[in-house]
Amino acid sequence: MKSLGKLLLGTALAGGMMLPAQAQDVVAVLSQNETGATSYNPVSATLLSVGAWLMYDRLVVKDENLQYVPNLAESWEEAPDGMTWTFKLKPGVTFHNGTPFTAQTVVDWLPLYKGSENEYLFDAIEYAEVVSDTEVKFVMKRPEPNLLYNLSTVYASIPDPAAFTELGEEFGVAEVVGTGPFKLDSFEIGNQTVLLRNDDYAWGPGDATGHPAKIETLTLREIAEASTAFLELKTGGVDMLMNVPTDFVGEVEGSGNLKLLELPGTDLVYMPINVTKPPFDDIKVREGVAFAINRQEIVDAVFGGRGKAADGFLISALPESQIAPEYRMTYDPERANKALDDAGWVKGADGIREKGGEKLKVTLWTQSDSIFRRLSEVVQAQLKAVGLEAEILTFDNAAIRDQYKTGEQQLAVRTYLWDNADILEWFFSGERLYYPNISMLNDPKAEELKAAAMTGAKNSAEREANFRAYHEYINSLYPYAPIYEPVQLMGYNTDRVTLPEPLHAARFNTLGFLQLEVKE
Amino acid sequence: MLGFAIRRILMLVPVFLAVSVIIFLMIHMLPGDPIDNLLRIGAGPDQRAALTEKYGLDRPLYEQYLYWIGNVVQGDFGNAIVQRRPVASLIGQALPYSLTLGGLALLVSTVLGVTVGIIAASFKGSWLDQGLMGGVLFGSMLPNFWIGLLLILVFSVSLGWTPVSGARGWESLILPVVTIGLGGTALVARVTRVAMIDAQGRDFVMLLHAKGVHPAVIQLRHVLRHALIPVVTILALRIGWIMGGAVTVEVVFARPGLGSLLIKSLNQHDYPVVQASLLILAMAVLLGTLLGDLLQAAMDPRIRDNLK
Repeated sequence: MKSLGKLLLGTALAGGMMLPAQAQDVVAVLSQNETGATSYNPVSATLLSVGAWLMYDRLVVKDENLQYVPNLAESWEEAPDGMTWTFKLKPGVTFHNGTPFTAQTVVDWLPLYKGSENEYLFDAIEYAEVVSDTEVKFVMKRPEPNLLYNLSTVYASIPDPAAFTELGEEFGVAEVVGTGPFKLDSFEIGNQTVLLRNDDYAWGPGDATGHPAKIETLTLREIAEASTAFLELKTGGVDMLMNVPTDFVGEVEGSGNLKLLELPGTDLVYMPINVTKPPFDDIKVREGVAFAINRQEIVDAVFGGRGKAADGFLISALPESQIAPEYRMTYDPERANKALDDAGWVKGADGIREKGGEKLKVTLWTQSDSIFRRLSEVVQAQLKAVGLEAEILTFDNAAIRDQYKTGEQQLAVRTYLWDNADILEWFFSGERLYYPNISMLNDPKAEELKAAAMTGAKNSAEREANFRAYHEYINSLYPYAPIYEPVQLMGYNTDRVTLPEPLHAARFNTLGFLQLEVKE
Repeated sequence: MLGFAIRRILMLVPVFLAVSVIIFLMIHMLPGDPIDNLLRIGAGPDQRAALTEKYGLDRPLYEQYLYWIGNVVQGDFGNAIVQRRPVASLIGQALPYSLTLGGLALLVSTVLGVTVGIIAASFKGSWLDQGLMGGVLFGSMLPNFWIGLLLILVFSVSLGWTPVSGARGWESLILPVVTIGLGGTALVARVTRVAMIDAQGRDFVMLLHAKGVHPAVIQLRHVLRHALIPVVTILALRIGWIMGGAVTVEVVFARPGLGSLLIKSLNQHDYPVVQASLLILAMAVLLGTLLGDLLQAAMDPRIRDNLK
């Protein structure tokens, strides 16, 4: 449908625009991966849209470098043994219903997670206690160097505990009481959320502190079909797309009144290699494949030069991604060919390698989105250049996960979206074989390093070092080949809105919408 | 007539149960696991096991079916696994959108189809007849989503007359209603045309002509009345198909509704919502058929007599 839409679009006349939204009102379309949220309840929801970022605040927030900066907490201190954390809170903060936000609020908020889907976030906290009205202390069951990360996620948004308890199941659907820069006006599941400015908001993060949002109303629309969302932006039916799919980047760039805003991405595209399936049970063949991928060519040819060539498993904004050069996987055809030669696979007359009369033929699994198919074709061609023939097998997006559970894959092209080093454990732990450990890696030393990284650190510096060691060791086994680190691309109508550039935040949420302006 | 109606309604019970079994088995045979969509990165095997047990997915399939259908017949569709809301509440929010869209689309296809059918029958064999019938047939052969995109490009992008998508005001209904309505026009037009031509050859029509009654009065007052019996039946049968046809159209036009809910839930493997949505769509077809039968029987006593 996407390509059909583009084809027809090319022949359509650029013409009459729909009436724009009211002067101080902005209409934005949610990212495709945020559509379908049925609630704004941060305690129990497993999917929350940007609306949740805007109606609530969190104790801490991440800046554009993924460093933790104050939000509701002014400052914080971790005890040297990691067994207590003390947070100094901003004074004068109030919820949408006028209730003051104090240390007691935090103490009452944490127990709401007991028995909920998101309980794991605060599993390491024994209890919280009030030190003063603006100071709260967390007493820990065990050190948790990842606490600030957990506190900065959207699931750690802080609702008014009294309203939360009183409204029960209806909290987050019929009503939301947070401290965020916007209040809930209406929420129609699957259609749209209308937010109104919180005029009292003066505790915004970073550059936006001291003033409420400039816009009065924000409508967040859900449009699952990318071509429809793009046409809405083109015709002026909406002012912004929170995410522009790669297929439509060229269309946005080619429209005079539309512009792209590029933000650092939190996803990574990679090729898992099943270490248990021949020929990839031979580390030399895995090494050959890992160094055969020309990442820059992929960035340029498939993604129009946007984004970065990946050389490890973590997004480059994470400190744990900074590993020693010998553990980075880059394009090196000589090394790739040598590794495959060393493994005994010799190039035949047709350019495909052979060993013992058997051709070096494998399968490459991919999912049905057009971008994945294109990417897989480029990878296929690059592997062929070093003498490996890969047959592409395409699976439906909803079904591919079950296919991985069979363990039959050899190579695959896939992506993940996560901004914490603990993703290494998710995809390479010996306790998660088949899925999510598609590489089927189960190595005793990797397990030891994993344990040290996940639970062995007392503070964040130690955690970072342990994860770096775990990352380097995994790379030395070549259970995957990194490919590409995308950027987030937002599209907006320059006749209607002005976006803050550069944006000092990891995502376009609280800070972005506080600074967003409507052109009069 | 009452006896006939009761017999037809009772005949629906085994059909309903058979449909429910087919829907249940189809959904559970699809690859995919709803728990995968609930587990966040970092969740352990114990959390998977707890969630699987919580939603009864560890029980034998027949037990799961009996539990589900037992609740459904008592009016309880259960809770959505992934979307974490009561299924009845999700469907309750979506259904009015689909009913509005479907109802208006039925109206459009009826008015258009009957009008085209009457004109074609009145000018049987002429270029007008062939042109009109060829046109509606061509229109009905095009897939819904394609018509939808085409209408968006013409009326929203090029002319700027209608919104591209959404459910904000009556303007946003125009294109989706026309998209679905056009799809059903050909069938209604063809049935109307054939029934009109059939009625035109009856003795009473010749008698009316002999009496000197104006041809337009004969066509609209006498012939059309006779021709309406199969048309009404077809319209009742179309209720279910229109609801089903709304599935893709709702996605193209980004409208909330049963179709959007179904697609989203299918992608998430949210079994209870998919089962309930499909059951409602199947019920729409079944009830449409029942309505068609009842209307036909009410208008034509021979049908009632045949079933006795």
